[in-house]
Amino acid sequence: MTLSVILAYIVILLVLTLFSTRRTKRTAGDYFLASRGIGPFMLLMSLFGTTMTAFALVGSTGRSFSHGIGVYGLMASWSAIVHSACFFFIGTKVWALGKKHGYVTQIGFFRDRFRSEALALLLFPVVVLFVMIYILMGIVAAGHVIENLTPLSYVAGTGLICLVVLVYVFFGGMRATAWANTFQTLVFMIMGVVAFVVITNDLGGPVKATETLMARDEALRAEVPGWTSRMVREGHYSELVFLTYCFIPMSVGMFPHIFQHWLTARRASTFKLSIVAHPVCILITWLPCVLVGMWASGELDAATVKENVVLPMMVALHSNEFLAGLIGAGILAAIMSSMDSQFLCLGSIFTNDIIAHYVGRDRYESRQLVVLGRFFVALIAVVAFSVALLKPGPVFSIGVWCFTGFAGLVPLVIAAIYWKRANKQGAIAAVLTVAALWVYYLPDALGGGFLLLDMMPVTTIVAASSLVLIVVTLLTPPPPSEIVRKFFPGKP
Amino acid sequence: MKHVVLFLLITLCVLHQDFWWRNDPTPVLGFLPVGLAWHIGISVAAAVVWWLAVRFCWPAELEEGVVDSREGPAPRQDEIAAAEREAR
Repeated sequence: MTLSVILAYIVILLVLTLFSTRRTKRTAGDYFLASRGIGPFMLLMSLFGTTMTAFALVGSTGRSFSHGIGVYGLMASWSAIVHSACFFFIGTKVWALGKKHGYVTQIGFFRDRFRSEALALLLFPVVVLFVMIYILMGIVAAGHVIENLTPLSYVAGTGLICLVVLVYVFFGGMRATAWANTFQTLVFMIMGVVAFVVITNDLGGPVKATETLMARDEALRAEVPGWTSRMVREGHYSELVFLTYCFIPMSVGMFPHIFQHWLTARRASTFKLSIVAHPVCILITWLPCVLVGMWASGELDAATVKENVVLPMMVALHSNEFLAGLIGAGILAAIMSSMDSQFLCLGSIFTNDIIAHYVGRDRYESRQLVVLGRFFVALIAVVAFSVALLKPGPVFSIGVWCFTGFAGLVPLVIAAIYWKRANKQGAIAAVLTVAALWVYYLPDALGGGFLLLDMMPVTTIVAASSLVLIVVTLLTPPPPSEIVRKFFPGKP
Repeated sequence: MKHVVLFLLITLCVLHQDFWWRNDPTPVLGFLPVGLAWHIGISVAAAVVWWLAVRFCWPAELEEGVVDSREGPAPRQDEIAAAEREAR
């Protein structure tokens, strides 16, 4: 029954996206950017749906289970402040520049802003690597959800998700992705509330659930040395870690798929609803997950249960098969609503910024370029799927390291938009710094997380990239005056 | 008003650190740990502050400075999308 409900949801999703493709025009602007005609509500659903991922559902529940309610403050309430700041200060400016100069991708923007082919070629593998880790997070989470809710295996679950997302991205492009995001965002928000109500009722109501947890905490303090309640932040995160987590949500400022969503907005004022409503949407999604994870700590064995399976286990334990199917579909909706944007953006980056820009004009016909683009996206999916089979670490840890890389690149986009002195040498140096540090610490990160100087490593990486960007820029010649006139008109 | 909004944002960041209830499991409304309830308040307050920013600090020049004509690189993007349609 659970599997049937999930499969029915997938069919509905595919039908919806096929319907939306009838409205697409035969232009690159429509395929990649939905003709820059997305309104406020769909932009909110696209941005929110894309940023709420497996990390927000599976990751937050698992982390709350293992480390308590502090995870809400680490991510959700920091994101309420920082995500909207990125939309306000970065997104609107990117939109304006994209509308004025016709940018379709993030790399296209940076190539033109800094007039540097070297920067574009350097950014490409870095961005692809970071996005692939992001995709990996979704695939791993989907595999655990499907394995714990249906008769399918982890391998079958991960493969199914990759296949479904690839199908509707290949056929529909950005407009289908926007429609799918809107539909799936509404699904996962509604199903999140449903899951919370169902699980809470089965636990005897929220008050009873908390009373049970508090009684269990008393017993665990006596049984388990060093046991710390999940109802507090103390003992799980230091003050410095809690503070420096603010850099993690800053990563949204450099997500290439978010960048592409920004470019789809109809006008600058389209951003207003997203800026204001995004904090509330995060609250609606994160609060139920954090509470469920907290209550789970009083029910599941913390010594044996892994973080990644807490949410599907709680759903399986406290709902019937039909509801488990609906809720499972909601979780998969959150995962797929991010993966589709990530796949689409990788395809557009490869097709527009690499093949068409460097190779396509003389050597390939347009139809062949399309095939190459799809081949590239499929290759990324296969690599991510293969790594997912190894079951690498908690979803939360994978997500944090992915976001760390993107956050390290945010000084670059801020400099590009606001600092007319910023030049290609500084930009290249900053990207190299971030890439080197990120790869160097990758094994430690995927092992479950680590600290640098008692702070989140993202702090060091952001500081290093900022410093390198500024120092190298000031030690090298300023950018050509034509670039300054183009991007900072009217400013001497 | 810009300074007020900036002050409120900085204040939110300071309040976010929650120096008061980080070790207090007391449930609010019978089930919500007070530390979590505090951060729910931070989320709601953030929405309010961003509403103020959008209402009173919106950069109107963003809409005025954009021109309709496209400049810049757009290599064969229409052909690429048309080929996508034919390939389906």
